[in-house]
Amino acid sequence: MFVDFFYLLRQSGILVSPTSFLRLQKALSVGMIQSVDDFYTAARSILIKSERYFDLYDQVFAHYFRGAELPDFKGVELEEAARALLEEWLKMPEELAAALGMTQEQLRQLTPEELIKYFLDRLKEQTEAHHGGNRWIGTRGTSPVGHSGFHPGGMRVGGRSMGKSAVKVALERRYRDYSADGPLTQAQIGEALKRLRRMIPVGPKDKVNVDETIRATTRNCGEIEIVFDRALRDRLKVILMIDNGGWSMDPYVEVVQTLFNYARAQFKDVKTFYFHNTIYDFVWEDAPRRHKPQRVEEFSTWDPDTRLVIVGDASMAPYELMATDGSIYVDERSGRPSVDRLNLLADLFAHSAWLNPTPLRLWQMTRTIGVILKVFPMFELTLDGLERAVTHLMSKN
Amino acid sequence: MSENDHSKAFTGASRYVLDEELARIVNISMALEMPLLLKGEPGTGKTMLAHAVAESLGMPLLVLNVKSSLKLVDCLYQYDTLTRLNDSRFGDSKRDVSNIEDYIKMGKIGQAFVSDVRCVLLIDEIDKADTDFQDDMLDVLDQMQFDIIEIDKTVSARHRPVIVITSNAKKDLSDPFLGRCNFHHIAFPEPEMMRQIIRVHFPDIDMNLMDTCVNAFYRLREFQGIEKKPATRELINWVRTLRQDPDFRPKDLVVGKIPYLGVLFKKSPDYQQAVQQIRRWRM
Repeated sequence: MFVDFFYLLRQSGILVSPTSFLRLQKALSVGMIQSVDDFYTAARSILIKSERYFDLYDQVFAHYFRGAELPDFKGVELEEAARALLEEWLKMPEELAAALGMTQEQLRQLTPEELIKYFLDRLKEQTEAHHGGNRWIGTRGTSPVGHSGFHPGGMRVGGRSMGKSAVKVALERRYRDYSADGPLTQAQIGEALKRLRRMIPVGPKDKVNVDETIRATTRNCGEIEIVFDRALRDRLKVILMIDNGGWSMDPYVEVVQTLFNYARAQFKDVKTFYFHNTIYDFVWEDAPRRHKPQRVEEFSTWDPDTRLVIVGDASMAPYELMATDGSIYVDERSGRPSVDRLNLLADLFAHSAWLNPTPLRLWQMTRTIGVILKVFPMFELTLDGLERAVTHLMSKN
Repeated sequence: MSENDHSKAFTGASRYVLDEELARIVNISMALEMPLLLKGEPGTGKTMLAHAVAESLGMPLLVLNVKSSLKLVDCLYQYDTLTRLNDSRFGDSKRDVSNIEDYIKMGKIGQAFVSDVRCVLLIDEIDKADTDFQDDMLDVLDQMQFDIIEIDKTVSARHRPVIVITSNAKKDLSDPFLGRCNFHHIAFPEPEMMRQIIRVHFPDIDMNLMDTCVNAFYRLREFQGIEKKPATRELINWVRTLRQDPDFRPKDLVVGKIPYLGVLFKKSPDYQQAVQQIRRWRM
């Protein structure tokens, strides 16, 4: 019963396991479910394992039982990609205007919504007209950030639609809260990270060492002597800084998520901060990078033994890294080049590593990677690279 | 499953305000003999539910408070080596030193298994433990038996306990774990529900005071960048504090004069954030 409901759920991206579906059948067979309302709650509690999917479940349920319209999953994807591309292009309006075939004047008169719509229309024409190497999408390499290209449908998608007015706010990439997406069970990453720990005896001596107690007691001719030890605890502190900014990090969201989830599960004391492209005066504790800034200088009061792990593609326009006031955000004017900041962090935390999701073979193509490579030991964000990063982080004990 | 179980459906307890949906989920989990995993913010009554189930079904309740250092074997049983050592030295107890079984003490899960009557087992804040612990524990709960290696004996559950597991929403549990549980997320109470809760705690409260407090409370909860949002517990303490203060006037809250903010925001960055945002609110 309800087999197509099961498949509909799976199609909409909720990972419903066959086992739990069978369990629902069992619930139906024992006569616990007597109405649609019963079915709604029972199926939800049995099939859906996270409140994150409750909303989606509601939509699918409404569609299946009442014929409501399903959200268009495909549409969001394209729009998302388009917005990312537009953000890049808005940094150079002349080029965008030229690409869209209008003057800068006309461009300025469009609202962001209109702009995106216009752009999407053009894009549809484009994809229908020619495939591969077309002109607009072929402007690759001319943007200051120097990214490779644009792949409709190949990008991962976030969620809601936007509805703000100012161009800058509207076109700001909706942030990726890496922690908010489902965990990817890649036990190997967990295994690799497991070695990143330092067990040290702490606290009062309150743990009985049975072996030692017996030994001491026999040595004492049977007069009981109890030997206490301190408990071993993992006291490794980790700071994780994640580049969750522009779309250049998008292809790697999945792997960073995995890393993040494991880091959270693994370490008792892990602090996560976010930045975009590179670090200026602040990093942020919240993923949208708006509410909880943390001054970089203030890390000097932190335990220097803390392991600092930075995750980012280290790819940006050279000026963003080297120039004073290099940030692409207007409100982030510090007077000091970002590379100084990175040096400061590297000085503060002797045990640090930069994990780069870009494949190793591409590193020499990007200048900024070369620069950061001199500041932080950089490792590829693969299992192999992770192992080596962990070895490096633990080596100088 | 016996007919007896059906007649014993959960309908709510004397001090727990239960919504219908949750009652249905509890009953289905009991019928399917599956652990029920409850997620939700602190202060939404996750733990209270287990108490209410136990009370209304007249079953004993066993609470396993999970700590990060907890090992699975501690929840099952403990082999008391020290007492045995002591007995072997002094020999003045009634226990038989050569019989290890005399020195095995049951942990909470073990107690639930050997209990003579069916009981409710609450595993509180499972997310504090690491993933391996969670998976291993579910194995035990799935098979309803475990081995005591010291005496090579298998303990099987006499009655399948009703298992309620709670987790704070922060960390995700592993897929195999989730696969074996029924899941429910308890949303934070709506203002109307919150008024009921307040009324239960302060039967003689002035309606005006309650309304302004609840309104201000929900406004404070909407502040940005707060790490630990004030929950039901904080609200109740806050109301209690306000009632103690003879100088307090409910209309102060309306104009954004919030006394005793420390009762609501307990982390100092949160407190500062709140102070700042209240200033903005007053302007």
